[in-house]
Amino acid sequence: MQKNIIIQLDQLTKTYHLKTGEQIHAVNNLNLTIPQGEFCTIIGASGSGKTTLLNLIGGLDKPTSGSVIVDGEDISKLNERDTVKFRREKVGFVFQSFNLIQTLTATENIEAALAPSEMADSERINHALTLLESVGLKSRINHLPNELSAGEQQRVAIARALANKPKILLLDEPTGNLDTATGKEIMKICHCASKQNGQTVLAVTHASYVKEFTDRLLYMQDGKIQTNPVDPIN
Amino acid sequence: MIPYSYALKEMRRRKHRTIVNVIGFIIVVATLVTLVSTARAWDTSTSQPLKQIGTDLILIYSAPVVPSGTGCFIANHLFSFPFEQSSMTEIQQVEGIKNAVPILMHRMGAVVFVGFDPEEKETNAILPNNIVEGRYLTSEDTNAAIVDYEYAKLNNLTIGSPINYIKGKFQIVGLANIDAANILKSHIYVNLPAGQNALPENNTGLVNVALISVYDPRDVPKVSQELIDKWAGATPIAATDLAASTSNVLKINEQTAWNISIIVAVVTVLFTIRTQVSTVSERTHEIGILKAIGWSKSNIVNQIFIESAIQTGVGGLIGCIIGVGLTWYLLGSMSGVTIADPLILAAGFLLALISGIVASAYPAWKAAKLSPTEALRAI
Repeated sequence: MQKNIIIQLDQLTKTYHLKTGEQIHAVNNLNLTIPQGEFCTIIGASGSGKTTLLNLIGGLDKPTSGSVIVDGEDISKLNERDTVKFRREKVGFVFQSFNLIQTLTATENIEAALAPSEMADSERINHALTLLESVGLKSRINHLPNELSAGEQQRVAIARALANKPKILLLDEPTGNLDTATGKEIMKICHCASKQNGQTVLAVTHASYVKEFTDRLLYMQDGKIQTNPVDPIN
Repeated sequence: MIPYSYALKEMRRRKHRTIVNVIGFIIVVATLVTLVSTARAWDTSTSQPLKQIGTDLILIYSAPVVPSGTGCFIANHLFSFPFEQSSMTEIQQVEGIKNAVPILMHRMGAVVFVGFDPEEKETNAILPNNIVEGRYLTSEDTNAAIVDYEYAKLNNLTIGSPINYIKGKFQIVGLANIDAANILKSHIYVNLPAGQNALPENNTGLVNVALISVYDPRDVPKVSQELIDKWAGATPIAATDLAASTSNVLKINEQTAWNISIIVAVVTVLFTIRTQVSTVSERTHEIGILKAIGWSKSNIVNQIFIESAIQTGVGGLIGCIIGVGLTWYLLGSMSGVTIADPLILAAGFLLALISGIVASAYPAWKAAKLSPTEALRAI
């Protein structure tokens, strides 16, 4: 039985116009489908367009042409309000540099993702604490990001990404700032979370150990998914 | 509660900038409260003495020397010459003058004695609403007197008690509560002819004070000048002249006070915009994060406004306290002045709030329109 397609990219292009008049096709006429629940990893050299692709799928950026259909909806055509709703409800981002709010504690960072929803204070706090517990940070709930190790910060970021129970997790170099052991731990958490909740994961990374966790490995070069790639990891 | 705790933590992180902003709002509110309260006190202190007797001008002829022995003619604590009561008719013919009321005001030792026309019920040294016990005088009363309530109490005088003043023998028919701000506050009030007869020399037809009311208060300076021109040696006393003798009051009118406060508010707003824009610029990356995790433009704008509201609220509150303190310091010794007028305090707080909203509107708009990807790229 064929799985439901949750992400469908058709002739997706994102072009940047430089001041010099030069055009950069960060994503170039890209076609891709990702079934629901798949852990898909994209690897590629720096500047190959991986992050731009994640931003387009996550509704952080608009394509120059083509369509980004996520969960049956072409997000490139959504207005500002619906795009925000989409980002809030359908996707969770995990970044290489963690991107936690430095003044907020671990719990509050997760609460920040829940703040726009109409959740009662107590419910929001309990949900944030449950998420922190699920990523093994029960004892660090009141710690500020600078009081946490890099691995712990990334775990908070994962908990935050999971806060709104998104259908898709977008991981942008999630292990880039971590040592191998911690990176594996992080990937394991993401893998478990996705399998437990049926979430689709799209990760871009350089780390070779991602193969242990991924269902499908894709290679990106010059804004395109390569059909006959040279594996840059091995 | 997250937007509030987030706002407080962000302000704590930028405490110097926050303190500067709060100080700005403190200055706005303290300036408004102090200046407007002082201006109102100034207005009260200068206009009340005349308003209480329903007049715009007091006309006297100042006496150069202090007579002694048999008492003296006074007005507004100034020694004055008596003049013909019939002058009132001429005074009334001056353009702009609505009415001129004759008063005889005399002092013997510590007692101040007034002769007045009880038929004048709008402008007078004593008015029917001053009576707290007994009755007001009529023009038929030849030996009846009204006595100041405090003076009567001090001297065990009641309604029906006899009271003498030089040659005059009177019986008290009324007790009056005369405010200390009343410029003609006296102890004994009698009918004008009875008063003229009570004095040692023949004073029939003489008075020494004219209370003048005008149709338009803006004409007071013009009318004053005309009186000086027509009657050499005449001294018109208006509210502005009384102001010169008022101590401990900053001489400023309410309009000026408001203008100064608004200028201070505008300067504060400009300064706050500058600091808030810097704050937003520093937080560009953070705003990108918030957008990535699902914050809308209105969530971002609200966050900036909450931070601004906390700063203006704290600044407004401290500004009110400091404003009341300064007003008390400047005017505490004055009677009849409101130190903490709730309306002025509310206006000060409102001005701070409006300033805060105006100051954060541009930075909030700037933050809201940031593209999430560009914001995330910012360091």
